[in-house]
Amino acid sequence: MALGADRYASRADTLVFLGCLGLSLAAMSLPPVWRDPVASAMRQTILAPFLELQRESELLRTSRTRFDAITAQRDSAALAATFLPELRAENQRLRGLLGLGQRLGSGYVPAEVLHQAAPTDPLALVVSAGRQQGVRPLAAVVSPEGLIGLVSTVDARTSIVVTWANLEFRASAMAADGSVYGIVAPHGTEGPGVWLLELQGVPYRQMVPEGTAIFTSGLGGVFPRGIPLGTVVGVAGETEGWERTYLVRPAVHPSAVTHVMILNTGRSAGDLHGAFRADSVPAGGGGGPL
Amino acid sequence: MRRSDKYRFYLVLAFLVALEFTVRSRLGDERAAPDFLLLALLIYTIRTQPGKAAAAGFVVGLMRDALTPASFGAGALAHTLVGYLSAWGKAVFFAENLFVNACLFFGGTWVRNLVIALASGKLRGGQLGWELLVWSPLQGLTTAVTGVVVLWVFRRWVHVRVREA
Repeated sequence: MALGADRYASRADTLVFLGCLGLSLAAMSLPPVWRDPVASAMRQTILAPFLELQRESELLRTSRTRFDAITAQRDSAALAATFLPELRAENQRLRGLLGLGQRLGSGYVPAEVLHQAAPTDPLALVVSAGRQQGVRPLAAVVSPEGLIGLVSTVDARTSIVVTWANLEFRASAMAADGSVYGIVAPHGTEGPGVWLLELQGVPYRQMVPEGTAIFTSGLGGVFPRGIPLGTVVGVAGETEGWERTYLVRPAVHPSAVTHVMILNTGRSAGDLHGAFRADSVPAGGGGGPL
Repeated sequence: MRRSDKYRFYLVLAFLVALEFTVRSRLGDERAAPDFLLLALLIYTIRTQPGKAAAAGFVVGLMRDALTPASFGAGALAHTLVGYLSAWGKAVFFAENLFVNACLFFGGTWVRNLVIALASGKLRGGQLGWELLVWSPLQGLTTAVTGVVVLWVFRRWVHVRVREA
């Protein structure tokens, strides 16, 4: 069918267009309590095959890497089996001494990030794990580098993660040595500080040197203590004589993440300081008095 | 147009939708990779009436909104506008050739991102500037190049004239 030059919008076309515009505006004005169930129902019905397709594609993409990793693990296991009795005894002693039990071996759900082609994608991510995998709302979402955000909506097989880039994100934070506490929030959308975090509410008399690693403090009970948030890169502003706000370079950018770990909500009381790589954020001292 | 040609046209659209959910994540930076779903919509609008194009845009936008809840409704609005304007513009103003179609894909992508960014109210200042001046043009460019390739490869199936400008 070739395009005819005489084709133009009829009255019916205009009415359909205006109807769609009205419905779009209505969708935009829906409160979250109505909006989320609608979006969730769509993800679990119409979009479910597409999300499954995307999930399978992501799995296929990483299958080679996983194969190499599994091969390496198998080789390591074969080597470790040689010393199995000694390892088992030593492991039992250490576990008993440290009281770690099985905590280190579980307590999270791995998931792939299903990125979408929208400018707001880094603010809220879709991940390929949901209620069936044990994900619960308000669970912390991390990558090997640090905190990504928290789960806001849970569907059967997918979840929505509100990332630290979202303007509504807040996390109680501290310096590595616990000497400085504050609230970490997105820096905002102006100037060169886009996609940075800021550490708010630091007492004026406490200086936080550049390079100080910032972690979650565990206060508030949402995020476990010890998850890397980023590194202090400078002072963002100060309220004369009261408090300072520091710029923090995030440990990880949401759009750069392909796989995440969703921590079980039961772990929010724990300390994960030792669970993250030492090089995830540059080491730095905590703050000190002026 | 034979009935089999119609099915082939929708087969091309389905192929683009499948690419969106399989190949796109392997094409580099998410912000600059081509948007196959929008491309399918724009190719559909080339052949259809503005009303149908607006309705298709609304459906595509709503689906996308369900996947990016940070801007729920803004996607539906943006895709409805782009779908309608594309079909209307093609009928009233635009000639049929490869370069014009490429411009349509580029402009459609950029306008879509502009409307989402403004309607959602989530991007401001520097973020908005980077989105509209860097990432959206890049995504528009990759989408336009992909669209031209698709139109050229499937020219007999989509029945769009692709003579050179």
